[in-house]
Amino acid sequence: MTEVLARLDGIVHRFGRVTALDGADLQVRAGEVHGVLGENGAGKSTLLSVLGGVLRADAGTLSLRGTAVTLHSPRDAWANGIGLVYQHFKLVPRLTVLENLALGRRTGSRGWRLPLREVEDRAAELMTQAGLTVDLHAVVEDLSVGNRQRVEILKALLRDPRILILDEPTAVLSPPEVDTLLALLRSLVTDGRAVVLVSHKLDEVLAVSDHVTVLREGRTVLSAPRSELEVTSLTHAMIGADHISGPRREPHAVADGEVVTRLRDVRATGPRGQEALRGVSLDLRRGEIVGIAGVEGNGQRELALVLAGRAEPTSGDIEVASGTGFISQDRTSEGLALEFDLTENVALAAHRDELFRSGILLKWDEIEVRAERLRSEFAIRAADVSVPARSLSGGNQQRLVVGRELPEATDLLVAENPTRGLDVAATDFVHGQIVDAVRSSVDGPSVALISTDLDEVLELSDRLFVIVRGRLTEVAREQWTREGVGALMVGAAGVPDDRGSR
Amino acid sequence: MPELVVLVAFLEASVRLGVPLALAAMGETITERTGVINIGLEGSVIAGALGGALGAMALGGAWAGMFVGAGAGAAVAFVFAAFSIGLGTDQIITGTAITLGGLGFTGAIYQARFGTTGAVLSVPTLAPAPVPLLSDLPVVGSALFAQAPTAYLAYVLAPALWYFLYRTQWGLEVRAVGEAPDAAAAAGVRVRWTRFWATVFGGAMAGVAGAHLVLAHAGTFAENMSAGRGFIAIAVVVLGRWNPVLVLFAALFFGAANALQFQGQALGLDAPYQLFLAFPYVLTLAALAGWVGRSRAPAALALPWPKRE
Amino acid sequence: MRRLSPAWTALVALVLTLAVAAGSLVLGGFNPIEAGFAMMRGAFGSSNAILSITMVRAVPLILTGLAVALAFRAGIWNIGAEGQLYAGAVAAVWVGLVGGALPGFVLVPLVLASAAVAGALWSAIPALMRVRLGTGEVITTILMNFVGIYLAAYMVVGPLQESRGVFSQTDAIAETATLPLLVSGTRLHSGFLLALLLGGAMWAMFRWTRIGFEIRAVGAAPKAARIAGLIKTDRVVLLTFLASGAIAGLAGGVEVAGVTFALYEDLSPGWGYTAIAVALLGGLHPIAVLGTGLLFGALEGGAAEMQRAAGIPASWVSAVEALVILSVLAVDQVRRRANA
Repeated sequence: MTEVLARLDGIVHRFGRVTALDGADLQVRAGEVHGVLGENGAGKSTLLSVLGGVLRADAGTLSLRGTAVTLHSPRDAWANGIGLVYQHFKLVPRLTVLENLALGRRTGSRGWRLPLREVEDRAAELMTQAGLTVDLHAVVEDLSVGNRQRVEILKALLRDPRILILDEPTAVLSPPEVDTLLALLRSLVTDGRAVVLVSHKLDEVLAVSDHVTVLREGRTVLSAPRSELEVTSLTHAMIGADHISGPRREPHAVADGEVVTRLRDVRATGPRGQEALRGVSLDLRRGEIVGIAGVEGNGQRELALVLAGRAEPTSGDIEVASGTGFISQDRTSEGLALEFDLTENVALAAHRDELFRSGILLKWDEIEVRAERLRSEFAIRAADVSVPARSLSGGNQQRLVVGRELPEATDLLVAENPTRGLDVAATDFVHGQIVDAVRSSVDGPSVALISTDLDEVLELSDRLFVIVRGRLTEVAREQWTREGVGALMVGAAGVPDDRGSR
Repeated sequence: MPELVVLVAFLEASVRLGVPLALAAMGETITERTGVINIGLEGSVIAGALGGALGAMALGGAWAGMFVGAGAGAAVAFVFAAFSIGLGTDQIITGTAITLGGLGFTGAIYQARFGTTGAVLSVPTLAPAPVPLLSDLPVVGSALFAQAPTAYLAYVLAPALWYFLYRTQWGLEVRAVGEAPDAAAAAGVRVRWTRFWATVFGGAMAGVAGAHLVLAHAGTFAENMSAGRGFIAIAVVVLGRWNPVLVLFAALFFGAANALQFQGQALGLDAPYQLFLAFPYVLTLAALAGWVGRSRAPAALALPWPKRE
Repeated sequence: MRRLSPAWTALVALVLTLAVAAGSLVLGGFNPIEAGFAMMRGAFGSSNAILSITMVRAVPLILTGLAVALAFRAGIWNIGAEGQLYAGAVAAVWVGLVGGALPGFVLVPLVLASAAVAGALWSAIPALMRVRLGTGEVITTILMNFVGIYLAAYMVVGPLQESRGVFSQTDAIAETATLPLLVSGTRLHSGFLLALLLGGAMWAMFRWTRIGFEIRAVGAAPKAARIAGLIKTDRVVLLTFLASGAIAGLAGGVEVAGVTFALYEDLSPGWGYTAIAVALLGGLHPIAVLGTGLLFGALEGGAAEMQRAAGIPASWVSAVEALVILSVLAVDQVRRRANA
């Protein structure tokens, strides 16, 4: 019987009135890759925050190698051999990799010295051992997402953890990178370490884990060795029912629909002045969903903003539709004004919706009527339309955004990572709305679905493109699989070369 | 040569007036490197000035006054830090209030103690302390090396702070906190504690700057005598790109602009007195306009931590 | 400044300030009760006090308070109301001196308009620096304050100095340039009415108009305003900044045309800075600012009496105003934390 390195029993944690964990259990054994599965909002991140010393449980016990402990801070966790690799990287962008690694290492009483040489040597050792390569002298903000993740892993390994926890590590990776990472994880457990992999991606967890625990609504509903499990029982455990995945549609390209948006050789620059779009040409027709898949950092942002008319290209021809709706990937800072209530957030559409305005005035009665309708039709859980948007859950916030944008999308709807961070119910809802918008009438809009979630794009698109380093490549029907699309992403920014930098 | 005498006098005044700017700005550099912008710096300067005056008079010596001034500046910065870092109130408005409060309270204390007649106090001053050998250099010698000891503090502080920021673990933590406090916290750095002492340090330096104004320059205290130097210091931090050594040079440059009001006539510039007074501020504005995009501020500057919502 | 705080936070803040202020008086060897009574007497003790001191003192505070509130609502840290006020005063005096031949109903609006334009011009430099160059406006507006004060100081000993060339002030402006009185026999001039109307207009703008909503959106969530609301944030910021400067400039013009009838050094005892306290205590709400402006008018009106009767230095009042800002911030912050 392999040694139990960590054991969590009956963990409860509340954030204010929300109970994130309601009696969760976990047993981490040495030499194992342990996959923790659950949909968004199931409590996975909270559980591993408890294990990582970031949060303290309100109830339940944590024991490490048989002894009960309380972890008061991440430092306690490190001292106990637990290393945490966060989903949202905790790196200082303007410092070098080496400086990031050196941060937080107190070298005893001589704390004022900066032991860069020693850290460099140790890091080089570790990179050889683990088979990772990163340019230690590169500035983090110049690194691709995949490389930054490597730095995070290296940072965690430097503390020599017995248990390495990774929170949704594959969310930002392209298929080839996912494979590399999963291989790395398997190699890490050979010397008696344990790896805990937290994810909502079933196939990946199944591919690499020795043992799987499923969380649902804050509780452990299933925990078994990999050999005893298969997809259906796991899906059932994750969402409590058999999941009929989405509105299954047959992709149907509309060859003769009205072109609502046309881009010809469009170029655009990104936030740091770099060329983000390098000559993109695209026709979007009414009644079709055009999916654009890609790893973050290849120009999706700029493409979304240009299509939605929110940014100007630096060159090229562009005919942009007038009736455009935009679901931004950044719903809390671009989609909504969190301090404003529902009515005021709906009012943000006033510039595009004549109903809401009259000369220099705003017609608040009309806006409020629309907000009320939205609340009921889109099932937004809010006491009334005057609660601040800040008080809504992520899923409800997205419903608000979608509800506000759809009526304005008479010609084009640009949806940028529209279901990021949403649970299955909200995801299904958003997908349903998108499909309905296209199908609802002959004059339905065109939809540009720009997403890093391959499954979403494969499921919904009528036509499919991959964006790589600011250029679009159409994907032939035969290649509409993860491997097929993944192959097209090789050479994308974010897919590593050997030097570990972009 | 009379021209040379005038030039030397101008250089000497430039350094003498640049030193308080340099001290306050270098202190603020460390503060801002942790992501805190202390608009209340002016309050620390005036508090240091009054503290310097009262301290020197009560304890019978200019050096004592210096320490009291530093303490007063630190105390004002402490209040600022308690609100903006401890409670998390908005840094800009809190800083503004601290400055207004500092100016108001120092004025009130001064008026209460010494009445409203505006009589000049007699304060023991800090005599210039010439550095042997170096002060004998032609032109530069008396300008740079025959100054009050606070000038030498400024000269030494610049490289010392540079070394601190770039060659020590603490300096690395300071930089990390100012760029990405979440990352620093995840690495185990105590973000608010770091910001706190960096702010208090900045206030102490500003307090020394204010004390220098009284004890090494004017020889007395007058209400509002800081005259916006705290604000100019904040601009100097931008112009010096948050690098202590560059900040020192920028501060000396502005000291020269300030010195024009005393040396202007002698230098042959004939213009209304108020123009000379306004010149440093106009110059600062022009410099800020010209320096656009040259370097980036610490990414977390003025952002509260932990973040709201 | 985003969501408006409920009214009770202002009350709690005031109570806290009172406590600390009283404490500081005790520390200084003064009697807070005596001070309080003196202040009340000075501010409300007689109809003359109310009409000619408190309400008159309130006018520049309400106007600059509205200017600052408008800017803060848009997310613009306009700390430069003081300089903008002086610019307006200089322009008003100049027009008031040279326009004597014009009839009153032309000259008075001209004087006020020129004050507003001058104030807007004064804020134009920091405004353009922010919008075009991305330079933070806190330091630039503060620097412009100093330049404005020195400009006025220069004017009164230079080009605009009074005819005998003795004092550092201007001649009196033309009779026709002065603001009519609201209540004869007092100093209460129609600038007070103008301030009230402006407050009402600003409230209506925020409540009903598109631009009012856009300003609020830009201040509360600039990215969302731009991306979701398709609001031209730069344009909104620029216009609001200029409008804020104009209103502060107007305050200077009103003071010249309604109270002093001339310009001299130290026209303003720091109204542009007090305005920040006025605006914050009023939760940035235009109607509330009318009230807090009056409150601070009473405070400053009673300050002279406090000095005379209780020996309390006038600067202490500015310190109390700073305390108001700190307690409003603190109470608001505590409230946010409790709600989260």
